[in-house]
Amino acid sequence: MKTDALHAVRLARTDLKLLGRNYVALFNVMVLPLLFGFLYLQMTEDPTFVLSGMPGILLIFTAFLNLVNTFTARREELVLKRLRGGQSSAAAIFGGAGLGALAVFVFQVVLLIVLTNRYAGALPTNPVPMIVGGLLGVAVFALLAAAFSGITPSAEMAQLTPMPVLIVLMFAAPLAWPLDQMPAALEIVSRVLPVTPVMELMRAGYYGASLGEMSVYVATLLGWVAVSALLVKLFFRWDPRHN
Amino acid sequence: MTTAIDVTGLRQSYGDFEAVRGITFDVRQGELFALLGTNGAGKTTTMEVLAGYSRPSGGSVRVLGLDPVKARRQLRPRMSIMLQEAGFLGDLTVAETVELWRGMAKDAGREPLTGNPIELVELTSKAKVKVKQLSGGQKRRLDLALAILSLPEVLFLDEPTTGMDPEARQRTWEIVRSLREAGTTILLTTHYLEEAERLADRLAIMHEGVIRIAGTVDEVVATSGDQLSFRLPERHELLPAIEDRPPSIAGGRAAYKVYGSAHGAMRELLDWADKYQVDLERLEVRPGTLDDVFLRVAKEAK
Repeated sequence: MKTDALHAVRLARTDLKLLGRNYVALFNVMVLPLLFGFLYLQMTEDPTFVLSGMPGILLIFTAFLNLVNTFTARREELVLKRLRGGQSSAAAIFGGAGLGALAVFVFQVVLLIVLTNRYAGALPTNPVPMIVGGLLGVAVFALLAAAFSGITPSAEMAQLTPMPVLIVLMFAAPLAWPLDQMPAALEIVSRVLPVTPVMELMRAGYYGASLGEMSVYVATLLGWVAVSALLVKLFFRWDPRHN
Repeated sequence: MTTAIDVTGLRQSYGDFEAVRGITFDVRQGELFALLGTNGAGKTTTMEVLAGYSRPSGGSVRVLGLDPVKARRQLRPRMSIMLQEAGFLGDLTVAETVELWRGMAKDAGREPLTGNPIELVELTSKAKVKVKQLSGGQKRRLDLALAILSLPEVLFLDEPTTGMDPEARQRTWEIVRSLREAGTTILLTTHYLEEAERLADRLAIMHEGVIRIAGTVDEVVATSGDQLSFRLPERHELLPAIEDRPPSIAGGRAAYKVYGSAHGAMRELLDWADKYQVDLERLEVRPGTLDDVFLRVAKEAK
């Protein structure tokens, strides 16, 4: 367990170093989601609402899209095979990828908090739901990325296969409008998406929420962790040749 | 001597294709065992099963007495593999790559190799170069450095010198020899028969998923027999059978395969030459080689 944790930290540090050397990935992870956020800001009169929900969108880019790319390219280049043949366990390898994504996500959320304060004069009052939502959100999206990489045949295709998921998450996420102001059908879809509880827990840090509401969001995320882990077991591949 | 690697009736299939078809062999502690074979013989599949990459479809494998898949966590720190093909994080430098692997070996409780592994594989001048900029041979040397830096008890080397220049190959052989002298058990696959002849204590030749022959290098080579050959005489229609075997004729030479002592066969041939007044030009006796055995195995299987 201790070895796994140490390996995960080493691999996460390496991932961050590599991210810093890959300008395309850096743009996709750091700049692109902020551009989307800026677009959404133009559609609302409540900037705090949009900015406080933005971490959910950041996760789609930082943890999901980035890691689908990373896992697929590393499988294709046989890096995963090398890692699997080394000292690290599968948990450490997945943990390292998740930890790297978490580090970037934390940096982005801190940046958002500063921006929200500058732009809308608001500050979070309760960090606990934000931390829980962030941790579970990274876990869900990192696992989903691993599963999606399994059905992605090549690094080139890694730009395409997550697109349907990206589109659904972007348009059904309650970023610019609260859940109860959405059309009924869209609200139902939105409530079961993994991005929604992350956004709502992040907003709970600013606006507050009842324990019951927060428990539902945490339970939804825990359900997604279980589903994602199962999808990883079914679809993830270490080697491009054999399963 | 204790058995370090034990393979019993191993079978491995991918869909309908059976890559390994019931092989049995063992490798003793501190021994270097070479698996030879043509492409697609099943060597890499065997090695990958032993390294715990996949469960065998049939039979059983044990490494240091443990199941490589079930006991992966206990076994992994004690063994290491240099895969035939494995990628690197191309944007890391050589030094960063070694540092990452050394750190992970240390975390896993291994006492890392004393000395600098980059120096050992003679990549010192490339330490600050990104791995993606290395040549194929240099990547193989880095591969070797990563495989040995945790001083494993069992080391799997899958075609370790492919793509290396002769100098790097010699250096690799020196490193492998020193590891074996230090007590590491080594399973080696190679296409270079000379490599197996120089390094292996015992070897097995695989073909189409089956071990066709196994033993010490001398035992295996002895199955080939010596070759007795001379320039084909004008009156070659008279050539005798030696030890009840007719000669093979190719490239203007007649050749006999001789098993056991070549003396008897030589005497038989000289007696025949005296009797028929045939001049045996450029007569020579060449001991059998591993190449002969390898080619015979491949030919017999066709």
